[in-house]
Amino acid sequence: MSLSDRLFRRGDLHSLAAPYALDALEPAERVRFEKHLRNCARCADEVRTLSEDAVRLAWSTAAPAPAALRDRVLAAVRTTPQEPAARPEHRQEYRQDPGRARAPQLPAHVWGTQPPPSRSHAPRSRPLFVPFATATAAAALVVASLFAVQANKTQDTLNAERAQASEIAHVLAAPDARATTGQDTQGGTIGVIASASEGRAVVTLSGYGDPPSDRVRQLWLMRPDAQPRSLGLFADDTPLVTSGLDKSATSLAVTVEPEGGSKQPTTQPVVQLALKSVGFGG
Amino acid sequence: MEADELLVLVAGGDQRAFEELYGLVSGPVFGLVRRVVRDPAQSEEVAQEVLLELWRSAARFDPGRGSALSWVLTLAHRRAVDRVRSARAAGEREQREARRAHHPAFDQVTEEVEAGLEREWVRRCLEGLTALQRQSVTLAYYEGYTYREVAERLSLPLGTVKTRMRDGLTRLRECLGGLA
Repeated sequence: MSLSDRLFRRGDLHSLAAPYALDALEPAERVRFEKHLRNCARCADEVRTLSEDAVRLAWSTAAPAPAALRDRVLAAVRTTPQEPAARPEHRQEYRQDPGRARAPQLPAHVWGTQPPPSRSHAPRSRPLFVPFATATAAAALVVASLFAVQANKTQDTLNAERAQASEIAHVLAAPDARATTGQDTQGGTIGVIASASEGRAVVTLSGYGDPPSDRVRQLWLMRPDAQPRSLGLFADDTPLVTSGLDKSATSLAVTVEPEGGSKQPTTQPVVQLALKSVGFGG
Repeated sequence: MEADELLVLVAGGDQRAFEELYGLVSGPVFGLVRRVVRDPAQSEEVAQEVLLELWRSAARFDPGRGSALSWVLTLAHRRAVDRVRSARAAGEREQREARRAHHPAFDQVTEEVEAGLEREWVRRCLEGLTALQRQSVTLAYYEGYTYREVAERLSLPLGTVKTRMRDGLTRLRECLGGLA
C-alpha cells in the first residue's frame, strides 16, 4: 500500500486517537491527524483525555538532570529570543462534512479520460529530463527547493518533511526519474518528480496559499477509461508522495474539496499536468 | 509557585521564573527523555532542546487544555520519540546499545532517586493490564515505536493494536485514579 493510501483513508482517522496520544504515529500521519483534530471537537476531547493518560506513564521515569545541563540551559536562555504569543487558534465547531455524501457528476470534458485540450491558460509543461544518477547536483537542487520555505513551520511539520525526504529520495534514486512542472494562469505551480518504472511520484504545489477554510486540495490521477483516482490530500505545502501509479496514467489534477476529501472530484480542477513527459501514458 | 503560573511568567520573558520552572520540570523531563532515548549523551542533548523550547515557546501553553506538567512532558516525549526514531533509522541504535553495556551504573541511578510512590503505582497498574495492552502501550510510549511497528513486533493486525492501546490507556486511568 502506498504511503498516501495509508495516510489518507479517513475512515481510520478516529481510531488513531490512542496511537496519537502515545506519539505512535508516523510524522506525516501525525500532521494529517492534527489537521483532522482541528475540525473534530469529539476527537479533540478524546485525544485530550488519552494524552493525560499517556502522561501518567511519564510519572515513573523522573530522574535528576545533570548539573551541567542546568548551567547550559540557563546560559542559553539568556541569549535565546522567545516566540511572540501565538494568535488564538480558530476554534471550529464540529461539523458534518458537507458534500461528502454526494459526488455530483461533472461534465465529461472536465473528467474525461484524456488530458484537457490545450488552451492558452492550460498548464505549461516544462520537462526537465534529469537523469538523476548522472545529475546529483540537479537532484539536490530539486530537493532543496522542495524544502526551501522553512520559516514559520513547526517542528512537527519539519519532522514530517524529513520523513518524506526519504520517500522522495527513493523516487529520485530511480534511474528513470523525471521532473516536470506546470503553471496555471493565477501563478500557481504544480511540480512532479516521477518514476514510471516504480510507479512513484512526488508532487508539490506552490503559489496557491491556504485553501478556503474547511476545504482541502486533493490530488487525482487521470487514466484512460477509468474514474479519477484520489492520490491523497495536500497538507499545507508539504509535498505529496504517492506510489502505485499506473503506467497508463495520463495526467494529474488538483481540485478543492470539502475537508477530508471526496471519493470523486466535486469541483473543476485548479490545475492539471500531463504525465507524458515523465514517462507515463505509454 | 506551581508550574502553571511559572509558565505564564516565563512566557513574559521572566528568567527567574524559568529557573524556578527548571527546578520543577527538569527531573521529569530528563528522566522521561532518558527512558525513551537511552543513550546518556543523546538524552542530555534532547532534554536541553526540550527545556530551551519551553523558554522559547512558553506562550503556546494553553492552561485550558491541561496542566503545565502534562504539556511539558508531552513535548518532551514527542522530542524523545523523534530522536529515537531517527537514531533507529540511521542504524545507530544498535551501536549505542552495545556501548551502553559498558555503563552498568546507568539504570541504577534512576532507581535510587525516584520518589517511590508514583513509580510503584504506575508499575502496579501496568501489571494490571493484559499482556497485549501492556506491550502495545509500553512499546509505543517507552520505546518510541509507531503503532505499525508495534503491530509488526507483536504480529497483530493494526486495528487490534489501536484498540489495545486505547483500552490500555483507559485501564491505566482507572487504576491510577486519584493519584495526580
